[in-house]
Amino acid sequence: MSTRHVLLGLLAAGPSHGYDLKRRHDEQFPQARPLAYGQVYTTLQRLVRDGLAEVEGTDSEGGPERTLYRSTDAGAHELTRWAGEVMPPAPFVTNEIFAKVVVSILASGDPAAYLTAQRAAHMARMRELTAVKTAPGTDLATALSADYALNHLDADLRWMTTTAARLTTLTAEVDSA
Amino acid sequence: MSTPLLTGRRLFKAHGSTPALRGASVELHPGEILAVTGASGSGKSTLLHCLAGIVRPDEGTVEYAGERLDEASEARLGELRRTEFGVVFQFGQLIPELTAVDNVALPLLLAGTPRQAARERAIAWLERFGVRGQEALRPGEMSGGQAQRVSLARALVTGPKVVFADEPTGALDSLSGEQVMTALTHTAREAATAVLLITHDAQVAAYADREVTLRDGVLAAEAAEVAR
Amino acid sequence: MSVELRLAWLLTKDSDRRERWRVLLTALGAGLATGFGLGAVAVAALRGHHNIALASGLLNDQGERSGIVFTLLLLLVPVLGFLGQCARVGAVHRDRRLAGLRLSGATPGQVRRIAGLEAGLACLAGSMAASVCFVPLLLHLWQAPPATVWVAGTLVVLAVPVLGTLVSLLALRRVVAEPLGWVRRVRPRGKRGLGLLFPLVAPAGVLVVGMLVAPRSFGGFYTSPALVLAVVIVTGLSAVRLSGVTSRRIGRHLAERTGDPAVLIAAERLRDDPWAAARTHAAVLLVTVVGTGFMGVRQVLLDTLRLRGPDTLAADISFYTTGIDLTGAALLLALAITLFGLAVGTAESLATRRRGLAAQAAAGVPIAVLARALLLETALPLAPAVALAGLGGMGISTWYALLADTEGTSVLPLVPLLVPVAVYAACILAAATSLPLLRRSVRPAELRYA
Repeated sequence: MSTRHVLLGLLAAGPSHGYDLKRRHDEQFPQARPLAYGQVYTTLQRLVRDGLAEVEGTDSEGGPERTLYRSTDAGAHELTRWAGEVMPPAPFVTNEIFAKVVVSILASGDPAAYLTAQRAAHMARMRELTAVKTAPGTDLATALSADYALNHLDADLRWMTTTAARLTTLTAEVDSA
Repeated sequence: MSTPLLTGRRLFKAHGSTPALRGASVELHPGEILAVTGASGSGKSTLLHCLAGIVRPDEGTVEYAGERLDEASEARLGELRRTEFGVVFQFGQLIPELTAVDNVALPLLLAGTPRQAARERAIAWLERFGVRGQEALRPGEMSGGQAQRVSLARALVTGPKVVFADEPTGALDSLSGEQVMTALTHTAREAATAVLLITHDAQVAAYADREVTLRDGVLAAEAAEVAR
Repeated sequence: MSVELRLAWLLTKDSDRRERWRVLLTALGAGLATGFGLGAVAVAALRGHHNIALASGLLNDQGERSGIVFTLLLLLVPVLGFLGQCARVGAVHRDRRLAGLRLSGATPGQVRRIAGLEAGLACLAGSMAASVCFVPLLLHLWQAPPATVWVAGTLVVLAVPVLGTLVSLLALRRVVAEPLGWVRRVRPRGKRGLGLLFPLVAPAGVLVVGMLVAPRSFGGFYTSPALVLAVVIVTGLSAVRLSGVTSRRIGRHLAERTGDPAVLIAAERLRDDPWAAARTHAAVLLVTVVGTGFMGVRQVLLDTLRLRGPDTLAADISFYTTGIDLTGAALLLALAITLFGLAVGTAESLATRRRGLAAQAAAGVPIAVLARALLLETALPLAPAVALAGLGGMGISTWYALLADTEGTSVLPLVPLLVPVAVYAACILAAATSLPLLRRSVRPAELRYA
């Protein structure tokens, strides 16, 4: 995920300082990995360097000094371009589960046991996400991001079920390669 | 852990010469939502039918609150299904000629509740499942999701201890399915009703507290033990 | 056409249980129709005076023979009603199957022809069976029947399957148009006209045919049968209409008030499709009108004959009683056919609902409640309709009694009042024959099929 574009997007609502941006990011993308403050700070500096954002001023009343940033015209333009750009659909298949299964076969491990354990872990996470999604008073943003994750986990699960059913053939194929 | 409310032990059941259950054992605790998953033909529905006293197992025992269902009379089983259990199928449990409110009121009428009181309670339940305003519609005039929510209201209106749900979202799109599942699990948790949920869909199973998987008529864990 | 015929044959041969039932019942109906037709042909072919050792010599003379031909033709009415019921057996299942044929690329015309031929084959089997039984009987009674009997008989045997095919083509004109066919239950609207038209047209047609075939019986000694028939038709029709209207009224009234689940289910089913019940009951009501009227006429006629004494009669009194009793037997036969049709209709309605019923039972609705709902569905709308039909019949017999009562001695006959009661009871018994099927339908195994 492009942190600089997300920050640009948050700045589009009006000038803001680093800590505020981090808080709003975590609110807006509830199930995502929370942003580190250091990362926000370096990203903002790069945006200023590239002319996409600029310093509006500082305000330091009753606390540590805080720099206010705002988006430039170039920044707004770049944001529009990025938001409309199509994401390349899975250019590389990175499937750690599959890698583990193959390695496990190569090293004469127990891929079936691994898949069972992984399935249980996936289900546990799906139950968590479902609980988050259906808790009373959950906002739509949270529900939708949980849904996104649920659908991906579900896809993984279905893939694991198919793979588990065809492990014998896969083992023969990997061993003979 | 608490004592199980409903226990099936080493259940065998064949349809003709085709075995559906081959020694499956399962426990359902009070207030627990248990998902039973598995591929088509793994024996999920047959397990539900045995546990709900709809069919008798060929072998094995079913015990509900200390009572042996595999030995109970048909009359007793019918009474249990009317009062202590609620069932929701994929479709078909609503009477097509009855309105939504009468369908929900039916179990109460069967228990001898006067018509007006039964209707009032039915309307309250319909409201709870977000199908208020559709009381006078018949099942054929509702969407699949609405009909399933009416079915849930009918299953829960008597305040059962266990709800048996066999692919309750099987005929629904994902959004309607979500609404049905949310309504079911919320109500069940509120009323501490146990739910036995049959599904082949992991996203539906994720609404449960616990999941067991059937494979060829036995639970997957048991299958692994047998294989060893 | 040969492709369609082959497909129709294959579909009939490899059909499942429900299909077999329809084929069997259709064949039975066709067999009955053929039997009555052949009987009418044989009797009508007789000319002049013969001594026939059947029914106290009732077949000996032309005048009485005409009456018998007319009765045999009248018996075709309940048989047609019965065939109509047979067409309903497995209708949903058949509609799906035909829609499947459409999906796999058959044209509407082809599907219609296949379905029509299926019915035609069943009717052919029935009419063949009937003729196989009829021919030895005929040869036994009549050593050398003239060629006209054979020709007309063959025509009847062939006409029945052809008619069966045409009727099913007519019935299927809507079904096969759509490849996706029957998906969800559509309530029949506007079918009402046809349902009312049938009882109007059928007796009228038979009346005309009867007048052509047996003109002399219409100038009878004491009776004016044309008028009687008109009263019968009008009463029957209003009974059908009443049955439909009261079905809906009773349904609405009870559905809103009852606290009894069985009554509620039955009432809502009546409100949902009142004309289904009305159509089924049309034949019952006609039989009730005619039966009640007949009982009255019989009583008055016999009283009058006895009053006159044997000297004034043209023949032995047993000649008259046999004739009257034969008419009674024909009425009983009509009633039996009608009741059989009612039983088939009830069974069919159960068979199409089996999955839902199994789900009800699984959800804990007691079978006793479902059974009571099933019986009430027949009993509720039939009560006022049969009562009216009975009144109509009483009207006939009262009128006849007044007509015959020239010497002011005979009293108003009350025995006919028993007829509607008996018919009503018999109808409920006929509906009750489906109860074992209900018990089978609610087996959990039915839950496994969508």
